Amino acid sequence: MAMHGDAVPLFFYSDLFLRHPETRDLFPVSMAAQRDRLVHALARVVAGAHHLDSLTGYLQDLGREHRKFGAITDHYPAVGASLLTTLAHFNGRAWTPELAADWKAAYELVAQVMIEAAAEDARRRPACWDATVIAHELRRFDIATFRVAITQPMPYLPGQSVSMEAPERPRVWRLYSMANAPRDDLTMDFHVRMIDGGVLSMVLTRGLAVGSRLRIGAPVGTLTYQPGSGRDVLLVAGSTGLAPLKAIAEQISWLRDPPQVHLLFGARTADGLYDLADLEKIAAGRPWLTVVPAVSHEPDFPGERGMVHEVLARSANWREHDVYASGPTPMVEATVNQLTALGVPPGQIHVEDFGWSEP
Amino acid sequence: MTVTSRSGERLTPDQVRSIAFPQARFGHRGFDEEHVRAFCALVERELVTLLNEKASLWEEVERLRRRFIDAGDSPGARPEDAHIQAVRILSNAQQMADRYVADAQQYSRQLTQEARRHRNEVLAEAKTHADRVLDDAHSRASRAAEVAATEPGPAANGEWRDRTAELAYLRTFSEVYRTHLRAYLETLLSNVEDWEQSEQSSLAEARAELPFPFPPVPPSPARGESPSPARGQSAPPAPGTGPLASPPHTSPPSYSSPSPARLP
Repeated sequence: MAMHGDAVPLFFYSDLFLRHPETRDLFPVSMAAQRDRLVHALARVVAGAHHLDSLTGYLQDLGREHRKFGAITDHYPAVGASLLTTLAHFNGRAWTPELAADWKAAYELVAQVMIEAAAEDARRRPACWDATVIAHELRRFDIATFRVAITQPMPYLPGQSVSMEAPERPRVWRLYSMANAPRDDLTMDFHVRMIDGGVLSMVLTRGLAVGSRLRIGAPVGTLTYQPGSGRDVLLVAGSTGLAPLKAIAEQISWLRDPPQVHLLFGARTADGLYDLADLEKIAAGRPWLTVVPAVSHEPDFPGERGMVHEVLARSANWREHDVYASGPTPMVEATVNQLTALGVPPGQIHVEDFGWSEP
Repeated sequence: MTVTSRSGERLTPDQVRSIAFPQARFGHRGFDEEHVRAFCALVERELVTLLNEKASLWEEVERLRRRFIDAGDSPGARPEDAHIQAVRILSNAQQMADRYVADAQQYSRQLTQEARRHRNEVLAEAKTHADRVLDDAHSRASRAAEVAATEPGPAANGEWRDRTAELAYLRTFSEVYRTHLRAYLETLLSNVEDWEQSEQSSLAEARAELPFPFPPVPPSPARGESPSPARGQSAPPAPGTGPLASPPHTSPPSYSSPSPARLP
């Protein structure tokens, strides 16, 4: 099947859309990325068939994630039928009734796990949250911060992210981290940097205004504060990777006896330190919080100069710290390597990599 | 050779063999990343096209084989064949749509990158220029101060000399600065005039090209009559309830804190 490459998922989706035209609306205009995702998911299922436990977890996540796409129980048999048609088509005469029965049984098992996870999730929370922009500010020509209000509560942990969809780009979902801990007034802050050619980031930086509507999926992510270690904390932020770490700093501020927190905020140029004024205001009344700006590509910047991992290496010993890092993948990787080389145990370094590459 | 190719043009084995990538910009190792990426995209597109062609040829073979086997059974096309054909048509349309979206994205990426590069160049140039203006003003003012200090004055006491030198410095500095500022403003003004002229002439051309005259412009409502909710001017959002919460800035943040914190 792998031999036919893109032709297989292409056939699959065309078959599905012809038999069930209503399913076309669940997908974005361009299906190129979607076809890759299908192939990867199928490969993951086939490869994991022997490790059912880990596969079950994966399928449950997949089932829950599909709720926000508008997938309902009725869609699963339709997908199964098109999958079997596709396999039969590409296997030609090698496709036997026994093979078809095996695949059908396997698909039904997969669908059942996904449907059950989705149903269980539906008892706890909505498929997605409607959000309205109540403040939007362009901090630099390509960096914006904005605040949304949702109507239903959304429990989450500081440091987590949600996927987001704008009506201007239907069915295109991208992950963004909340920049604040949960609030009673159901508002959330987001930081977004425009990626050159980015489908959604362009809309979020320059296309939003007060009153714009967005849809937000359930919170995900494991970059969350682990209290109770007794260690001090180092937060390493690159560009808008600051958002989840700002939320974590806010969470720490609630502790009765907060640890010492160093927040290292790095950017290429000083105008990339888009939130520094706010951070310094926050740190002003909190002796346990130190905000350190660092700039890598501006020789006359008065503060720390260099990439964040270089700045780290220059200063104190971080071995007794819990470290949380967030930012562009190369920056996070360099930070983790540097800290490991400096003797920080891997168990104390927390990162999350959603892959910052937006197609 | 260039690695950009219009969609539709096919990649040949010879092109792959003879590809020469330009070296990366100064300060970067290896080949120019942009060119390599563009070439990889081209190879990928070619591969996908080949695979799809292969798949549809294979389908054709299967179809002919079935027809051969079924020959005599029924002369008309079977319903499965019609469905397969519909699938193929839809697949082609989808691929076309995918390509349009990909091209549009690529175009927007290039435009943004170019704009970003241009912005950085303009900023760097402005900064160099500003530094030069300040240096110039400073050196000329210093010279004026030196001259003033050595001139024999009515009272040659130290304080008087210092004040005279300081006065000469400031006078020259502000004069040089004013000159530069005037030149700068004049350039700006002439740019605005050029802009105005080109807009008027292009408007005139556009009107001339139209088959019918412009409809009369409706009278615009008086300013301030119906204030549209401009971005950032609406009521401030309810402040957050968390202890760290603070509403987004309403003024541009200043980055010129005199001594940013440093790590211990």
